[in-house]
Amino acid sequence: MAFLDVQYLTKAFGGLRANDNISFSLERHELVGLIGPNGAGKTTLFNCISGHYPLTSGRIVFDGEDITELKAHDVSRRGIARTFQVYVASGDLSVREKVMVGCFMHTHSRSKAGSKAERILKDLGLHDLRDDLVSELPVAAQKRVTMATALGTEPKLLLLDEVAAGLNTMEIDEILASIRHVHKDMGVTVMLIEHVMELVMKVSERVIVLDYGEKIAEGPPEAIAKDPRVIKAYLGERYVKGRME
Amino acid sequence: MDILLGSIAAGILLGMVIALVALGLTIIFGVMDIVNFAHGEFLMVGMYTGLLTAQATGMDPIFTLPVAAVVGFLLGVLCYMGFIKFLLRGPMVAQLLGTFGLMLFLRNLALLIFGSSDKTVHHGILVGKSFDIGMGVIVPATKLAAAGLSVVAFAAVWLLMNRTKIGKALTATALNSQAARYMGIPTGKMNALAWGIGGGSVTVAGALIVNFWAVNPFMGLLFTMIAFAVVALGGFGSVPGAFFAGLVVGLIMEIPGFWDFFTYTFDWQWMADVPMTSLKYMWIYVAYFVIMVVRPRGLFGWKQ
Amino acid sequence: MEAVRNALDFSDFPRIDLFIAGAVFLLFLIFPVFPHSSFAMATMIQFFMFSIYGMGWNTIGGYGGQVDLGKAQYVGIGAYTTGVMLIRWDVPFWFSMPIGMAIAVIWSFIIGYPLFRLKGHYFAIATIATSLVLKDLFTVWPFVGAARGLEISPIRFPPPDFLRLIFKEDIHYYYVILGFFFLSILYMNWFRKSRLGYQLRCIKDNEDVALSLGINVHWAKIKTYAIATAFVSMVGSFHVCYIKVIEPVDIMSLDLSILIALMAMLGGAGSLWGPIIGAGVLIPLKSYLKEWLGAAAGLPGIDLILYSVIIMVVSAFEPRGIWGIVEKARRRKRR
Repeated sequence: MAFLDVQYLTKAFGGLRANDNISFSLERHELVGLIGPNGAGKTTLFNCISGHYPLTSGRIVFDGEDITELKAHDVSRRGIARTFQVYVASGDLSVREKVMVGCFMHTHSRSKAGSKAERILKDLGLHDLRDDLVSELPVAAQKRVTMATALGTEPKLLLLDEVAAGLNTMEIDEILASIRHVHKDMGVTVMLIEHVMELVMKVSERVIVLDYGEKIAEGPPEAIAKDPRVIKAYLGERYVKGRME
Repeated sequence: MDILLGSIAAGILLGMVIALVALGLTIIFGVMDIVNFAHGEFLMVGMYTGLLTAQATGMDPIFTLPVAAVVGFLLGVLCYMGFIKFLLRGPMVAQLLGTFGLMLFLRNLALLIFGSSDKTVHHGILVGKSFDIGMGVIVPATKLAAAGLSVVAFAAVWLLMNRTKIGKALTATALNSQAARYMGIPTGKMNALAWGIGGGSVTVAGALIVNFWAVNPFMGLLFTMIAFAVVALGGFGSVPGAFFAGLVVGLIMEIPGFWDFFTYTFDWQWMADVPMTSLKYMWIYVAYFVIMVVRPRGLFGWKQ
Repeated sequence: MEAVRNALDFSDFPRIDLFIAGAVFLLFLIFPVFPHSSFAMATMIQFFMFSIYGMGWNTIGGYGGQVDLGKAQYVGIGAYTTGVMLIRWDVPFWFSMPIGMAIAVIWSFIIGYPLFRLKGHYFAIATIATSLVLKDLFTVWPFVGAARGLEISPIRFPPPDFLRLIFKEDIHYYYVILGFFFLSILYMNWFRKSRLGYQLRCIKDNEDVALSLGINVHWAKIKTYAIATAFVSMVGSFHVCYIKVIEPVDIMSLDLSILIALMAMLGGAGSLWGPIIGAGVLIPLKSYLKEWLGAAAGLPGIDLILYSVIIMVVSAFEPRGIWGIVEKARRRKRR
């Protein structure tokens, strides 16, 4: 049975169908990429899975349990963690404290949460920054902090939303290493939304493509890169037509 | 039966004036998302202005409106440029407490200048006269005039907002200040203007109200809460919403009248024992709470 | 237990802070020994009371970021519970105070559940609304003395009476409230290190992120609100035994609610010392302003005018409060 099974998921805002009848499934320990042009509904899909948005119709089954109706905090407790694309920090928490909040999901003890946070910070190379305010960090570090925080909750499934956005090549390599570490060494199932193609194609075992709210393609990265429907979605029909002639 | 009709009439008339009181608050909130806790104090300033102008010039209180409007406009702009502008940069706690500080300031300034006793208007062509509007309902002429003039003022502001270029600029800033700025509409000036119009409309309401409601330095808070209830019901930022909600709240303030009517009609002793008159303002606070929990957008609101 | 250790452990503060705090606390302990006016003593007691009020507010308003302007209703519940239970049924303070806290907390859960569906300005105004509703109800309710309020007469309850907390001399009240003050600091020290404290700060930062970390945001806020309520009610109970006269219009007034919020904001909302510093500045200021400039000087209201100007200036130019300035300077030095 699939680890995560999304069935005919539809999310409509009034007349706009941000997600239209999307179905796919993830197996345990997979690393799947989610791509598509801006506005395709990728973050909306994440919001639906994580329980931040209620579904208009459809079902989500995770690890054998129907989580469709669950609220966001209950979904996280079932083992689904995520990062957020747009993150506005109001500047009160330090890196260590932020990660501790994630660790507090499974413990009431400050000392236990603290030591777990220390381990995670060391793991992701953030230990030096532990006393700095999250809001004062450069973007790349902030993104790693959001990953570290999510890891504190000991997730079974991690949804990463554009963690490589705004990063330079060196930073992308660093975060790639972190993702690989989380996936291979920690055994977490990962699904990531990305616009940085070099990252997504390099690291994904499988790629799902959304366009205008619908799933238009699914398959291994090399096949997706050549799929005319995908190319059309990104570059437009005329480009595809021009190519074909 | 005439108790009921009398209460309904009183409620509607009062409601029209209250709508004007709330109009300023909803405009300010629509344009820049700040809640002015000193709103009732602006009203109080309007009341004192109306009173003093009438006493000084011997004019009929009703004709003091232009003076009140100018005073209110200037006060609003001054508050914005001298204080509110800086508040907007800070966190919300600071904004809320800041406008409270303004409230305390104005209230105590009034206390210092005018003393704490109630003052009311004694002379004027309408004072002491009443009209019989049929079905056994008698309304004081001052209330009737106040209601009528409130509607006029309300309509004037509505026209300003919707039919003039500057009004449309204001609305644009309210909807999306960044986009408006890109179109060349200066946010700072719009904010000041919003405070000016907001201040002006509520002081005019004050100059009208002082004809049938005594003024003292401490009455601001009650009207601030009334204005909040109206704006919540009508929808934060909605001008027509403020009008209809004002009528509803005016009727709520007449609950003691309705209560009396039901007491007589059903003749239940326990009803007579409830001191509903002392509690009449309480229903406004309850209304605010219920509205915000049940339908935060209000009737016509577009801001959440 | 870890909780107790957390409460007693102040080691994450810099040495100099602890040194100053220790010295100040020592001064508090021995203050009554020095020659002092009864006015100064009364101001000190007020200072402790408002520090505790502020600390309570700080949980939901400072750490939680939800500006609550309706705390006065809980002061009233605490005060009236103790007052009524003493006058009608001769119940001592040490029993009626916890009962008052319980009633206050229950009420806070009842209105908290719908209240926390709101945020920001709307929330703040709603808190004012609930407080005013309660005040109006108490003003007409004969059981609690309606508008006339309650009075604890020393003839009926002769001092000194530790059980009922009726004393003739302020010095007894001083040490009682100092004890509460100390316990409150310990509690707040525990709170800011507790799971709830961290969760709140995360909520204040970004609610969606908090939800994704398994935090039941709504419930966390309600729990914290209840804690704030308990603090405030406790001091309310003390208030009625100390002042011995209460009226709804004073004890449940909006002005009191604002003052409480102001303590914490001025001193630094969201920090342990903030409310104490805020109270330490505002209470003496308010008292002495009133003495020198107020009705005594024949100019009613001028003390409040000055006071309100201070509020406006602080709100506009240094909203993070005094402790915020200290922390900012420290962080800059560390770089």
